[in-house]
Amino acid sequence: MLAQVLLNGLIAGSTYALIGISFGLIYMPTRFFHFAHGVVYAAGAYGTLAAISWLNLPLSIAVLVGVGTSTVIGLTIECTVYRALRRRSASSLVFLLTSLGLYIVLQNSISLFFGDYIQSIRIGAVEEGIDILGARITPAQILIVSMSLALTVAVTILLKRTKMGRAIRAVANDAELADISGINRDKVFFRTFAIGSALAGVAGILVAFDSDFCPTMGINALMMGVVAVIIGGVGSIHGIALGALLIGMAQQFGVWKIGSQWQNAIAFVILLIFLLFRPQGFLGKKVKKVTV
Amino acid sequence: MEYLLHILILIGIYVILAVSLNLIVGYSGLLSIAHASFYGVGAYVAALLALKLHSPFLANIICAIILSGLLGAIVGIPSLRIRDDYFAIATFAFQVITFSVMNNWVSFTGGPMGLPGIPRPAIFGWKITTHYDFLIVILVLCIIILWISHKIVTSPFGRVLKAVREDEIFAQAMGKNVASYKVLIFVIGAGMASVAGVMYAYYISFIDPTSFTIMESILIISIVIIGGAGNIWGSVLGAAVLVILPEALRFLGMPSSIAANMRQIIYGALLVIFMLFRPQGFIGEYTFRK
Repeated sequence: MLAQVLLNGLIAGSTYALIGISFGLIYMPTRFFHFAHGVVYAAGAYGTLAAISWLNLPLSIAVLVGVGTSTVIGLTIECTVYRALRRRSASSLVFLLTSLGLYIVLQNSISLFFGDYIQSIRIGAVEEGIDILGARITPAQILIVSMSLALTVAVTILLKRTKMGRAIRAVANDAELADISGINRDKVFFRTFAIGSALAGVAGILVAFDSDFCPTMGINALMMGVVAVIIGGVGSIHGIALGALLIGMAQQFGVWKIGSQWQNAIAFVILLIFLLFRPQGFLGKKVKKVTV
Repeated sequence: MEYLLHILILIGIYVILAVSLNLIVGYSGLLSIAHASFYGVGAYVAALLALKLHSPFLANIICAIILSGLLGAIVGIPSLRIRDDYFAIATFAFQVITFSVMNNWVSFTGGPMGLPGIPRPAIFGWKITTHYDFLIVILVLCIIILWISHKIVTSPFGRVLKAVREDEIFAQAMGKNVASYKVLIFVIGAGMASVAGVMYAYYISFIDPTSFTIMESILIISIVIIGGAGNIWGSVLGAAVLVILPEALRFLGMPSSIAANMRQIIYGALLVIFMLFRPQGFIGEYTFRK
């Protein structure tokens, strides 16, 4: 039983890490809560679904369509709404409120197009599972765990080793100084939104492979991602992965000991504890500076 | 006629919610995404007291205000140590947790099945049964809450709140205990929101957790912002506009399955449009800029 709980924790943690990393990458330079990211994530699954059931495309191409849908939606939001807000030097609260509005509009649009009911693009039969030390894991779940590991490494390398990653970190560190050094801020944001949104699409599709989904799939996943980002520490990709793992494990132990319906409450109690006692997360640097 | 009264009652409920949130968001600059949870606490407290103890209406309202205010203090005191969008996220977390409790503590709250059969209230022998009666009670409550809110925002206390909103450090430098002002207004707002919940529970006579979700919180925020943050009358206007506008869809002959989604899309789109082009809303004064 313990082996299964640990494995389930790892799987849940991996799904949170996927969305958490994609969100964290965007949060790093932009520093506001991009709630609409939840819809960008769902768009990956729904884009894939549309490509399979409406256009009858093979799975591999349908996945690309899904990732493309997410990327296009994320970039459209950035280029039309967020850029306009930035021109007006809006505060992070304005961004947060705007993205809540965008989230509602887009999520309900998905409901209009696809219906509110549960959909599925599962790969493989439901019963299937591979035995590892007495615990069962499906192929889709193996894919989720390995992809989240791979993405943690890939995004860390992107941030630490490439020119673009340095630009993102520079903007995250001090936007004005980055401007002065000749870094084009809009270009940096464009690229982070492109990569972050594509990763969110990948996350949405992987989760949809494993379980059924509905239009509201995004908000819950995103909130787990946000929790992972905050408790892991903003700006640290492996912090986010660890944070996600911590929530996943805590939730699965909760499922084992007190019942599955308290999963959300467990994650948010952990979040509240971190916000109150260690708002910079366990690997992050101090996040809130008071400026006069 | 019944329909018209129903709309007016709904507007009344949202006026109470929006005005109380406006005190927190518009006057004090604290973006709370947890208002629907205090609304829900009010509804559940009233429903449970009425169903299990058969206690009278006025006593239930007072209990709801006290409990909701207490909860506001329990959330507010620690959360108000964190600022701006982190505060918003903390209230978001609180909203999710209260929904989770309403939805999962089945033996106490009825879970997703909700609490049906809430009895009609009575005030000193006057049985409130018809739409007219409810409208009168809600009007009276609205007037009381508007009056209290008006008193608060025009008092020295209200001026300090605005000072906190505009420049927290400056207010602190002026020797004001910023934290206690914030907690106090958060508690007052939470208490007021529970009144709307009590009225909702009695009026509909059935409550379930779906009425008190994060979407409801965002709807109340939209009302405050579209009407105008930092202006009480703005919230009255916003509540009227946002309750009536989706009803227009009904007359356009939109099927109800689509209407529910369209309604949300209207709220969301209005929120985005106002944030982009008129962050102070129709008649507000606060634009979320520091």
